[in-house]
Amino acid sequence: MLEKNFKLMPEEKAALKLRSLYENYGYNFYRMSRFEEYDFYADKKDFLTSKSILTFTDLNGKLMALRPDVTLSIIKHIKNSPGVQKFYYDEKVYRVPKNSSGFREISQAGVECLGPLNDSNIKEVLELALLSLKNLADGKNFILDVAHAGMIAQLLEEKQNKSEILKCLAEKNLHELKILNAPEKLIALANLEGPLKNSLHVLDEGTAEIISSLEKIFPGKIHIDFSVTSNLNYYNGIIFRGFIEGVPDSVLSGGQYDRLMSLIKNQSSKAIGFAVQLGVRS
Amino acid sequence: MLNIALPKGRLGEKVYKLFSAAGYEFPGMLDNNRKLVFENHELQMRCFWVKPFDVPVYVERGTADIGAAGKDILLERSPEVYELMDLKAGACKMAVAAKNNFHDDPEKILRVATEFPNIAQNYFASSGREIDIITLRGSLELAPVLGLSDVIVDIVETGTTLRENNLSVINFIADLSARLIANKSAYKFKGDIINEIIRKLKES
Repeated sequence: MLEKNFKLMPEEKAALKLRSLYENYGYNFYRMSRFEEYDFYADKKDFLTSKSILTFTDLNGKLMALRPDVTLSIIKHIKNSPGVQKFYYDEKVYRVPKNSSGFREISQAGVECLGPLNDSNIKEVLELALLSLKNLADGKNFILDVAHAGMIAQLLEEKQNKSEILKCLAEKNLHELKILNAPEKLIALANLEGPLKNSLHVLDEGTAEIISSLEKIFPGKIHIDFSVTSNLNYYNGIIFRGFIEGVPDSVLSGGQYDRLMSLIKNQSSKAIGFAVQLGVRS
Repeated sequence: MLNIALPKGRLGEKVYKLFSAAGYEFPGMLDNNRKLVFENHELQMRCFWVKPFDVPVYVERGTADIGAAGKDILLERSPEVYELMDLKAGACKMAVAAKNNFHDDPEKILRVATEFPNIAQNYFASSGREIDIITLRGSLELAPVLGLSDVIVDIVETGTTLRENNLSVINFIADLSARLIANKSAYKFKGDIINEIIRKLKES
């Protein structure tokens, strides 16, 4: 075994475990170049968690960017196919973490599932998210927070102060949601937390079914929590975020992003995926 | 063990009194000494004083599970935390103030002195006005009086200091008070204890 001859770094070990997990579920490894043309990111900056992009000029004078995100590249490069395509990756991305003064190289693994998806595909990706958390948690407790971008978008359709309301929702800031005159239904969603039995009824039937069948495999590990928010221009379905006890930041985030697919591919298609941060501070 | 970060100073002392009235006492917290960390073994909680501006940092990074921070500091730093409760202590406003006879000349770049550059930037960006931000560390009233800036963006409590310097408020930006904040991950795993603290704070 290689492991006997080499000392693996903790994040390399974690990445290998996740890779074998994704392989076992029939996902194909996707490897891509570390850089893209800058223009590709320039008009999708609001999809990226960090707005700063590391750039350089290639030999032909083109402005290139060191990849700040994997999902966008996968969507761009996949060939159209009539069936469901399943990929996983284990890559480096280059970002400025929040409140940090410079660029950092961050190891990221994740899966993307694209095409004419049905509920069982969505369930599979959520199951992989839970299994990834379990793997990384290494015996510690973990939680997957789940919300639904489509429901939030619908409730905010006619509101002028969307971004303020979304910020308060992400902060569980109920006192200011009231001041902002947020819709009653949204405030009710913001109030949800704790055991699933109290909150499952807010979801549509299909989503509730997926969640309750996963709850049977991972009892107590899934919370419906609408402080998970994502860019509503890209995400339309279920969105989720994973936490591990003792790690201050979320270690996993993802969701269904049909809207992003149609923006980049100019055709309607479904897609869901998530990314796991490897080597996070604890 | 639950870790609580409180802001050193007047606001923090007000907040600590709310905590002790709700049954969360840390002996020695209000004594005039140099000690910074106080434990209550019975409650399984630890409380510490940090600089007001640093409370969101301790909470965001999970060194403190919860903390109390002024809304001014939350607006300035926009940390990735939960804002779970308005503690209502230290209520005041963030405002734009200028000399009593100030007339805004739209042909000039507006010079803004403030301790809160992000708040000032966001506020004037929404109005589309070009501004020059001058970041100061206190005694903001001096800036327009001595001609360093045209206006200031600052915390206004009663307005007495402004009046004494012949300044007046021209616009309010936000309502401020102390807020209870929590680390997002800590809230997932210690939510029961944190919610009980909130419940008791609301009751007392």
